Amino acid sequence: MLLSYLKIAWKVLMRRKFFAFISLFGVSFTLMILLVMMALFDHLVGPSTPARRLDRMLFVNTIRHQMAEGNGWMNMPASIHFVDDYVRKLKTPEKVGIITASSNATAFTKSKLLALDLSYTDGNFWQIMDFDFLGGRAFTGAEVQAAQHVCVLNEATARGYFGTADVVGRTIEIDLKRYRVAGVVRNVSAGHLYAYADVWVPYTLSPQYFKDNRIEGEFLMVMLAPSAATVPAVREEYRQMMRRVEIPNPKEVQALFSYADPVLESFTRALLNHEDQTVDEDNLEAFYLIAGSLTLLFMLLPALNLVNLNVTRILERSGEIGVRKAFGATGRDLVGQFLVENVVLALVGGLLGLGLAAGALALLNQSHTLAYAHFALNWWVFGWGMVLTLLFGLMSGVYPAWKMSRLNPVVALRGR
Amino acid sequence: MLRHLFTLIWNRKRANMLLISEVFFSFVVLFGVGAVLITIGKNYLAPHGFDYTDVWRLQVRAGQGQQMPRAQLDDVLRQVKALPGVRTVALTSGNMPFIFSTNNSTFGYEGNTALANVYDADDRYTDVMRLHLREGRWFEAADDASNHRPVVISQDLRETLFGKGPALGKIFTWSHHGPEATKPEDEFLVTGVVDNVRTANDFAAAEPGVWKRLLPHDTTSWETANVLVRVAPGQGGELQEKIARTVAGVTRQWTTEVRVMNDDRLSKRRYTLVPVVGLSIMGLFLIVNVALGLFGVLWYNISQRRAEIGLRRAMGATGASISRQFLGEMLVVTTLGVLGGLLLAVQFPLLGAFDLPAQPYMLAIAAATVAVYVITALCAWQPSRLAAGIHPAVALREE
Repeated sequence: MLLSYLKIAWKVLMRRKFFAFISLFGVSFTLMILLVMMALFDHLVGPSTPARRLDRMLFVNTIRHQMAEGNGWMNMPASIHFVDDYVRKLKTPEKVGIITASSNATAFTKSKLLALDLSYTDGNFWQIMDFDFLGGRAFTGAEVQAAQHVCVLNEATARGYFGTADVVGRTIEIDLKRYRVAGVVRNVSAGHLYAYADVWVPYTLSPQYFKDNRIEGEFLMVMLAPSAATVPAVREEYRQMMRRVEIPNPKEVQALFSYADPVLESFTRALLNHEDQTVDEDNLEAFYLIAGSLTLLFMLLPALNLVNLNVTRILERSGEIGVRKAFGATGRDLVGQFLVENVVLALVGGLLGLGLAAGALALLNQSHTLAYAHFALNWWVFGWGMVLTLLFGLMSGVYPAWKMSRLNPVVALRGR
Repeated sequence: MLRHLFTLIWNRKRANMLLISEVFFSFVVLFGVGAVLITIGKNYLAPHGFDYTDVWRLQVRAGQGQQMPRAQLDDVLRQVKALPGVRTVALTSGNMPFIFSTNNSTFGYEGNTALANVYDADDRYTDVMRLHLREGRWFEAADDASNHRPVVISQDLRETLFGKGPALGKIFTWSHHGPEATKPEDEFLVTGVVDNVRTANDFAAAEPGVWKRLLPHDTTSWETANVLVRVAPGQGGELQEKIARTVAGVTRQWTTEVRVMNDDRLSKRRYTLVPVVGLSIMGLFLIVNVALGLFGVLWYNISQRRAEIGLRRAMGATGASISRQFLGEMLVVTTLGVLGGLLLAVQFPLLGAFDLPAQPYMLAIAAATVAVYVITALCAWQPSRLAAGIHPAVALREE
């Protein structure tokens, strides 16, 4: 049954090449654009090197300070005091690492200025993230404690400064300070906000390394839970911990709010901020709702276009419909058949779209829009692409199919 | 004639409803993309109001909680200025052009208020940035004697605060202060007016600006000194390193960053351009898709209506009048869709959405209308010509 539907679908598609082209163009480009968007999204929040164990990671990017007397809000990353005296004492996380958002630094080679993004980290960070080391190793917790001038470079910086990636043990001068190169890693995409930098150095060398009891600083935290199942427990313990945090300046700061979130929630919480910032809401549902409706809205016009074409072409099939109805096919049979046809069309378009998306991503990678980013299609993106394709096929097939099934056999046969 | 067209359309109202909604959504897409493109295109063509070529920004940081003694800072500036290849140096604030840093405040004068970017500037500032002076003069050493803080304002701020009246010599202040409660350094004495400046990026609109003259004691609490350096044309990395080493020669405690303003501009431009290009590609694809679809539908409709056309031709209608009928039908359908779109689009300038002026919206509405009509006319033209070419004998024989 299905096989004969598929055969008919193929014959109908090939009957008028021009219409087949219009339909496939619409379907494949719609899906290409959606797949590219999806690949970008996956690049930002999906697991990939160096954040391979993403399902076990939790991130803290801000501490919200509610100022006293209605003086508004101050949102800042954490200080070392906060990390050491509160977060590192948590029992559930396996490891707590810290990193700063990258800041500008400069190194001079003989011929030119090298503009670098520099981050400060600790030893744990390298055990939580799985960087690809081309040579050497990460700096250790002991080296960080001793505030040694060591660094890890990415490949581009090593090549830019020394002309080769084999530079372990040599000395690089950044911002006129000298560092010994401990290791060289493969370039990390600037899309990995919690791991990207050109140069990593121990946090104990940061000008923001204060030893007093202030809460606000510049350190982002990455926590590794023992397993994906224990992630909620870590989030809960962090929540409990926040109630105990002592405010050093209660005259100015009334309350502190901070949450340990998986990667996507850590962005959506800040992105879709509530009016009332005291509410603990990670906005994940809101984000999916907005993204979903934008996707549907974008698919609406191409789908409408396809509906229009299909409805127009009903008459072309009137003979066939008349004969089938006269021989006892029900409306539901016909609806099923036309839906299958449309879904087949969408799937063919979807495959084309997948190819187009791969091409578009290759172009995007070549243009170096985002430093060191390599966007790619993967099974996750492919799966969602297929879901969207089916959705598109149904969206554009239901109304024409319903219309076709309602043709009166007498009229349809006479129209022949 | 028109009445007849409407009857024809009403008879096929279901099929036409789909066409109308397609035209409506196409109009909305064209309007949205058009509004964005027109706004940024208009901005791009406007002058920047200053000269960013051969200007470098030099940031000298003392670190948080540590201040820079003025004597040491002066020493740094003097030594940098003395380097061969450096034309002149000027002190300013951290919100330099083309970087992700802004600083703005609301100012008021006799009930008029305006939000403006606030820049610190010393007497050499305009030698580096080359602002275009319209009225008055830039700051000079003689301003030391002034009781108030001398400022230079941009033309758009002058128009909001002072209207057509004179601006030079007038004193304004923050909008939230009463006139009697201000300190002398918060009373701003207008000494000059310059052309509008666009400092955010190549595609941003001009924003009002206030340049406050730096007083010697302003710098005492600084943790970071922001310096603008105008260099001779053709200078590169070698001089950048020399500047960094010069600063380090004065004190090892400070860190420096030397950047070329034109590089900042290009990198900021890329950040702004990526979403715009993405939006344009999507818009273009949607419109091409709709155009192809319309063409297919019309072509198919006409091939279905051969009998009707054959009959009309047999009754003596000319080919031209047949093709006019089909074009006319399509234009009526388009008009209905466009009217719906206009109803929606006109809300944007009426409600002042996104705080943009009405003009780009009106232009976008006009452009979208023209584009939709052109697209539908093009899509209807070829099928109509086909219709006109139908021979009555052939068409009626088929019947």
